[in-house]
Amino acid sequence: MSKSTHDVSNEVVVRTIVRKRLTLRSLVREEKFLYVVSLVVFFTIWHLAATRGNGDSALVTPWATLQGLYDMMSSPLGGETLVGHTWNSLRRVLIGFSIAVCFGIPLGLLLGISETASAILRPLVDVFRPMPPLAWISLSILWFGIGEEPKIFIIFLASFIPSVLNAYNGVRLIEPELYDVVRVMGGSRWDEIKQVVVPASMPAISAGLQLSITSAWMGVLAAELVSSNSGLGYIIILGMQNSDPQMVLGGMVMIAAVAWVLTASMEKIDMMLCPWRREIKGL
Amino acid sequence: MNKHVKISAENVSKEFIQKGTQRVPVLKDISLQVFDQELLVVLGPGQSGKTTLLRIIAGLEKPTQGRITLDGEEIRGPGPDRGLVFQSYMLFPWKTVEANVRLGLEMAQVPKEKHAETVRHYLDLVGLNGFEKYYPHQLSGGMKQRVGIARAFSTQPKVMLMDEPFGQLDAQTRLFMERETERIWLSDKRTTIFITNNIDEALLLGDRIVTLEGKLPGRMKKSYEVNLPRPRDPMDMEFLKLRHTITSEQELTL
Amino acid sequence: MAYQTVKARKSLKLRVLPWLSLTAVILIWQFCVSPPGVNDWRIPGVLLARPYDVLLLGIEKLTDVNPDGATLLVHAWVSLQESLSAFLLSLLVGIPLGLMMGWFGVVRGLFRPVFEMWRPIPPVAWIPLAIFWFGIGMEGKIFIIWLGGMTPCIINAYMGVKTTNPVHIQMARTFGASDWKIFTSICIPSALPMVFGALQIALGNCWTTLVAAELLASDQGLGYLITAGRSIGRTDIVVLGMISLGITGVIISQIIYRIEAKLLAGIRR
Repeated sequence: MSKSTHDVSNEVVVRTIVRKRLTLRSLVREEKFLYVVSLVVFFTIWHLAATRGNGDSALVTPWATLQGLYDMMSSPLGGETLVGHTWNSLRRVLIGFSIAVCFGIPLGLLLGISETASAILRPLVDVFRPMPPLAWISLSILWFGIGEEPKIFIIFLASFIPSVLNAYNGVRLIEPELYDVVRVMGGSRWDEIKQVVVPASMPAISAGLQLSITSAWMGVLAAELVSSNSGLGYIIILGMQNSDPQMVLGGMVMIAAVAWVLTASMEKIDMMLCPWRREIKGL
Repeated sequence: MNKHVKISAENVSKEFIQKGTQRVPVLKDISLQVFDQELLVVLGPGQSGKTTLLRIIAGLEKPTQGRITLDGEEIRGPGPDRGLVFQSYMLFPWKTVEANVRLGLEMAQVPKEKHAETVRHYLDLVGLNGFEKYYPHQLSGGMKQRVGIARAFSTQPKVMLMDEPFGQLDAQTRLFMERETERIWLSDKRTTIFITNNIDEALLLGDRIVTLEGKLPGRMKKSYEVNLPRPRDPMDMEFLKLRHTITSEQELTL
Repeated sequence: MAYQTVKARKSLKLRVLPWLSLTAVILIWQFCVSPPGVNDWRIPGVLLARPYDVLLLGIEKLTDVNPDGATLLVHAWVSLQESLSAFLLSLLVGIPLGLMMGWFGVVRGLFRPVFEMWRPIPPVAWIPLAIFWFGIGMEGKIFIIWLGGMTPCIINAYMGVKTTNPVHIQMARTFGASDWKIFTSICIPSALPMVFGALQIALGNCWTTLVAAELLASDQGLGYLITAGRSIGRTDIVVLGMISLGITGVIISQIIYRIEAKLLAGIRR
């Protein structure tokens, strides 16, 4: 048990770190132990489900999935290894996402700051918002053909709206008295924007980045499923066409891994953008 | 003693528009003079318009009628010559204690090299040295309001405006902070308007106490001089007498 | 005392501008696209259809089954069936699971690792497996859309229970309530606002996933209408499909919103 104490005048701040004692009883109640149980059960069921069929089952064992993953990494498919395909998808996402964020966040802030801009642009945002970004895939293929552009366009659309809306809501939910702090000190409208609007909406903007990147990852896969000859979406659709579940599952594992890395990096960025926020424990 | 009038309010009235269509009168015909180096307490129950009065003096609201002058010049908007301490602290959660206090200096375009020294000086004054790098959420309520006070002081305003600064604190911390406020005020006798709904706080701190009527629109009721030696003892006979007078006269309106 | 009332209104500019900007965009769209069969400096008809033509087509498609095999309402009905049944399924499975994960450590411990592995996979990526398992019928699509709706249901129900005011739980413990009793009579009611918050998100996810599911394997539905329009080179059909998707989405989300408001008002009373 370690303890640190500061005090200021009549108030005392004490920080204590307590270590839990390890017993057999606490082990059974320990979530980490249950996690292990859970994973073992899950993979066993998966394995049994895959081996029970007589060969034509559309599922392969976890072990075979891993092997498929390894094979795809070492031998090229459609001209590239799995690593190359992953990079293709990732590159598209990063380009589309960056463009969307660069335009979306300033636009959202502008809508929040200026009533006039909001009156002009909000109706347009509201008209486009309910249309799922994936519905644009057909038009984007008509417009841009089958190269990189239609995919980047879909990713842009998928991540643009969350960026705009979160920045906008971030500004709208700012405590109005915070502006008074700046005004009382004789700050200008620009000071209000710089000192209050941008930092105060940062948590919402950062949450928007999370939503955007998830949406962008879904967008790239959908676009690649519909028409492409590279990328992870292409891998799984190729696996489907070849009736090769090993390939499909391997692709899905990769998709999950990349999605996880993207989310984790967004959380890192969130910590960098908003170091002052209290930790909120959740799923 | 020749008293210089620092702030003067002349027939100030204020109405708000509520829910888009309701006209709510908040202040009616307030005339008030605050003298240089005075600690004036405005005492009134909740919903008596005292916060609005302070916000008008700060320049955050415009009076519907009447005018307020500071050193003879009419107040037309907020400015660094008046420092405001907010009831709900209003620290910027994304800034450290140090950066929160520095905010006013940046805006007043004080030369950069003076920032560190000034910040340290005011954090010392409110007893917060050692907490420079903390974020507001790591501090207790009393410590947060110390930062609020340091921030308001840092630009050396001519007048300090304190809006129920200790309303959210527990009784003990509150008493302690009242003593601290008195100590800080005695150290440079800056003209201060202090708003509260707590009569003991008013009597502990005020050179003069002005009471507001307890329902909207807020009107000036009475003014009491408090000629007790500082630091004041809340068990002192004179203190209790004055307390009794104010309480009984306040209660008539309730 | 009644307060005096005054007339309050937004400035004229702020009331007019939204309509002005919408009209301007539609007019620009109309005039910058060539009419069918005309080839001039404007955006050719193979890339975009004019709003007026889309409107005419929309009226015609109310009764006409050509060229894609069904009327507009049939397409919309198919899409609604798929997305709403998947939506309901995700509520039925996701919410109880989330609630249990929030309260019972064992449930949480057992489901969380699987949930964490499953969550990052976008529902779209399940399409090939769903086609393996279910074929291209409605079941496959419902499965994919269901996956899309699950995540917000589980997370919100979980967070709803987790954010129950601990004082309420302690209060119940002082009365000697059992774990199960606390769960049903304190945690679930206090989680309801957050659970209702999940409805809109889940519905939005379902609607987006629907498009992806229909783009790939389908012969009816609004998503199919878009794909069909592209494959026969009719941009007016593509745009009509997109707009119908948007409008239908708004209508069902409004209905859900109304239901949600009614139910929540019932709880708060």
